[in-house]
Amino acid sequence: MAKYLLKRSAQILVTLFVFLSLVFFIVNAQPGDVSNFYALNPDVPPETRERLQDLFGVNEPLWKQYLVHLKNTFTGNFGISFSHYPRSVADVIGERLPRTVVLFMTATALSFYLGFGLGKVVAWRRGGWFEYTSTVSGVTLYTVFTPWFGLMMIWLFAFKAGWFPIGKFLDPVLWRDAPIDANSVFTQMIITAFAVSFVVLTVFVITAQKRMSNARIIRIVSMVLATLAVVAVWMSWGTVSYAWDILRHMVLPVATLTLISFAGTMLLTRNSMLETMREDFVMAARAKGLPESAVRDKHVARNALLPVVTSFIFSLAFAVDGGVITESIFSWPGMGQTLVSATLTEDLPLAVGAFVFVGIFVLVAHLVADILYAYLDPRIRY
Amino acid sequence: MTTDPVLAVDDLKMHYVTQAGVVRAVDGVSFSVERGQSLGLVGESGCGKSSIAMTLLKLLPDNARLVAGSIALNGIDLVPLSEDEMRPHRWDRISMVFQAAMNSLDPVYRVGDQIVEALEAHSSSAGRDAMERVRELFDLVSLDPSYILRYPHEYSGGMRQRAIIAMALACEPDIIIADEPTTALDVIVQDHILREMQTIQHSLEMSMIYISHDMAVIAEVCDVVGVMYAGKLVEFGPTADVYARPIHPYTRALMSAFPSVRGEKHELVTLPGEPPNLLDPPGGCAFNPRCAYATDECRTTAPPIVKRGDQWAACWNPSDE
Amino acid sequence: MATVNAQPAVPSSVWRARLRLASRSVRENWGLFVRTRIGLLGLAIIAMYALLAVAHPVLMSTVWEPRIYDPVIGYAFDETKQPAPPSLKHPLGTDPLGRDILSQLMFSARSEFLLGLLAATVTVVIGTSVGAIAAYFGGWVDTILMRLADIMIMMPAISVLIVLSALIGVEHFELALLIGILSGFGATGVVLKSQALSVVVKPYIDAARSAGGGHFHIILVHIVPNLLPLSFLYMMFTVTSAIFSEAVLSFLGLLNVRMSWGLMIHTTESAGYLLQVAEFWWLIFPASLSITLLCSAFYLVGRSLDEVVNPRLRSR
Ligand SMILES: Nc1ncnc2c1ncn2[C@@H]1O[C@H](COP(=O)(O)OP(=O)(O)OP(=O)(O)O)[C@@H](O)[C@H]1O
Ligand SMILES: [Mg+2]
Repeated sequence: MAKYLLKRSAQILVTLFVFLSLVFFIVNAQPGDVSNFYALNPDVPPETRERLQDLFGVNEPLWKQYLVHLKNTFTGNFGISFSHYPRSVADVIGERLPRTVVLFMTATALSFYLGFGLGKVVAWRRGGWFEYTSTVSGVTLYTVFTPWFGLMMIWLFAFKAGWFPIGKFLDPVLWRDAPIDANSVFTQMIITAFAVSFVVLTVFVITAQKRMSNARIIRIVSMVLATLAVVAVWMSWGTVSYAWDILRHMVLPVATLTLISFAGTMLLTRNSMLETMREDFVMAARAKGLPESAVRDKHVARNALLPVVTSFIFSLAFAVDGGVITESIFSWPGMGQTLVSATLTEDLPLAVGAFVFVGIFVLVAHLVADILYAYLDPRIRY
Repeated sequence: MTTDPVLAVDDLKMHYVTQAGVVRAVDGVSFSVERGQSLGLVGESGCGKSSIAMTLLKLLPDNARLVAGSIALNGIDLVPLSEDEMRPHRWDRISMVFQAAMNSLDPVYRVGDQIVEALEAHSSSAGRDAMERVRELFDLVSLDPSYILRYPHEYSGGMRQRAIIAMALACEPDIIIADEPTTALDVIVQDHILREMQTIQHSLEMSMIYISHDMAVIAEVCDVVGVMYAGKLVEFGPTADVYARPIHPYTRALMSAFPSVRGEKHELVTLPGEPPNLLDPPGGCAFNPRCAYATDECRTTAPPIVKRGDQWAACWNPSDE
Repeated sequence: MATVNAQPAVPSSVWRARLRLASRSVRENWGLFVRTRIGLLGLAIIAMYALLAVAHPVLMSTVWEPRIYDPVIGYAFDETKQPAPPSLKHPLGTDPLGRDILSQLMFSARSEFLLGLLAATVTVVIGTSVGAIAAYFGGWVDTILMRLADIMIMMPAISVLIVLSALIGVEHFELALLIGILSGFGATGVVLKSQALSVVVKPYIDAARSAGGGHFHIILVHIVPNLLPLSFLYMMFTVTSAIFSEAVLSFLGLLNVRMSWGLMIHTTESAGYLLQVAEFWWLIFPASLSITLLCSAFYLVGRSLDEVVNPRLRSR
């Protein structure tokens, strides 16, 4: 397992290196140098411009510029944003990266859960109109024109019904004289989510491994305790109403991203289940007299999960693209929205910085998925 | 009660419905197995041996139709049972070692856990008790107990085979069906495992149906033997009798294909012609196109049963050797 | 006459047998394709849009006056208020700039098809070559191609295109090329390689090799034909992603195109009609639905082909 992960990490590092080189050559392929963009902006004083030229090493030979580019990337030095002047690119990204990660992780977890659960059922009820309708609606959701779908969600649930805000990250009126800034509240939320999932996961894994007979009770008790702890902590922080505002803003983008991506998992799961159902061990499981639900969930679905995860790794980049589009539709201030708006305002340093981080994000997600896969498949664990 | 057979199969018919037509894979088969007895089923590839096995457990693909007949297990007919009613009988009373034994273990679970799963499906003995039982079973099939918590891919082929036999024994069933359990193994391991299975069967007083296309293997382990051709039993009887004086020409042809059985030096005779097409089997006796003694009767009318002691065959021109 | 008939009996009958086999497999596969039903649905939608695309130039040169109906520079002088709701003369109404929506829709259909075709062709040419070469030569060639594939698979295509559009202008041609390269060197190449691997081990490849066939000849004659069914399937998926990416980029206003379905929605957005879905539905629905339908259609055909090509998915 360690060897496998080491190998994968090394491969991912090489990939990152190639990716950064590609970015460098793309940026250099266009006429002029980066600092020219700043020249167009009357806000940027000439001294700053010179400092930036130094930073990017534009007067140096190309190979030196390349090294500077690599160094800047690894030290998080992307220069100064033009549209957010005088904030640095790193600062803007530092604020927005967590928002993307949270949005993406939530939607991915939900869509995987939904897609896998539905795909299982569809495969089990092979043939007939149920399969036909679920396939066609799945494909439609999967290939739906995302901006339009997001728009319809906004129009229906925010504009007409008024249940949710129309977009953005928070409601400025509520936050005008808030005692705390949005990023801190968001950090609190992330910490809570991580702590809770860590505790719950640990309990599940331990009860499963120790073969405890009262596993169910322990699990329920631990979940209740975790909930109580969360309530207590948030009461003491006193920022519940602000967190609630952020949550409300999250609902529609998460729902949209979930809906457009679960169908892919569902269709994959169906195919993978159909292939696994022909395996001999499935027949053996039936012969053992296991109930149909155990055959389906413990044996077929568990094995069908592996190719689904593999294909999911394949389509990670596609999913991140979906996130980019969704963010810009909902003006969710994450990396995707930053990338699009920086591009539209010709804020090149920010656009490049955002792109580099979208790329790194895909790479890290890839690595995480690889670890998950190694955990799921005992054949590559050693 | 005690003299009742463990398994009594009567006029069993199971057909596959395919695009090309109906495949009569099991076409009116009757036999019974006494307690502690082992029955061998032999026949060429594709004659319906595995189909019988799957029918006995009622583990049939979607396109299979159980057309007629009865399967009495300890006096209970399994044929009319629903899936839910069938489930308690599977593995607990009748278990199986699959033809594709190599792939019958789920790759993502530890072997021990897979045996525990079978135990838990049929009794309330959970957790520690079940693990104890797994240890016993591993002992029985001479597997190293340190392998209980290992995954199937860490096992060699022979070990997997033993693990599957251990699994089949788990609930102490009345009868085990072994569908070519050793064909994928090398001869020495094959021999070991066969001998072990025989010992276990005798010591636990279990019945066994042993499926193979290898006459020599059957001769070694079975008390009674049934010879199958085109979905039907063509000859049946005590192994010694059938091997000493086969009645049906097909049995004789099979025997000469395995000269070692009789110890004498025979010229190896391969069966002439092709195995029958089960979609459209020949009329009369299905063996007639390949039979040296075929007459007009053989081509038109189903053959009568010829008896000789406990041995019988379905043939128009029985050998009176 | 008689000698002519008698002479080439052997070769012609071989060819006839081959033809018969080919036509039978086409008929059988078509049967399988039809049985999935979803493939037929996809084909019907594609046919409908193809018809629209073909009909546009015909209509423009006959009944539609270019001054009014030109998708880019026309203006509906016959309407008093723009955007005008659907009427007899403008079945889908006009856009905020007074242009006929139906004409825009039909005009764009053609460029979507061309874009999809180009992207799919690039994908298949690259993917098949990559797959065949990596499988046939193995070794370091394989390693390099597969590492490259890893990188391509990790490239978020739309994000790449967004950045590229900031640096260099992106048009349909570049878009198709990029999608084709990403998919051909990436996922499609990997899938086709694993298919090619199962061909490379076949005895006739060895036979061809020992008969002195050149590498190029063997790859082209013996390996590539076996990859075609699968690469055809991946063409469908590439068309979907090309049309989708085009729509998103032109919706964001990042693409240099004169007219496209995505641009139609972009126009709606910049004119501020985006949230008036009920009042100005014809500004939003025709284009959005077209994108969705055509993307789904190609995807459905691809999926259906998958069931034809992959026997393990058929019902037991
Ligand atoms: N699911 C199925 N659908 C249609 N026909 C089938 C199916 N399964 C088996 N058959 C056919 O039924 C016949 C009997 O098959 P079966 O597997 O019982 O043979 P077998 O005697 O076990 O052969 P082997 O010695 O090769 O294992 C064969 O002709 C086979 O093609
Ligand atoms: Mg068999």
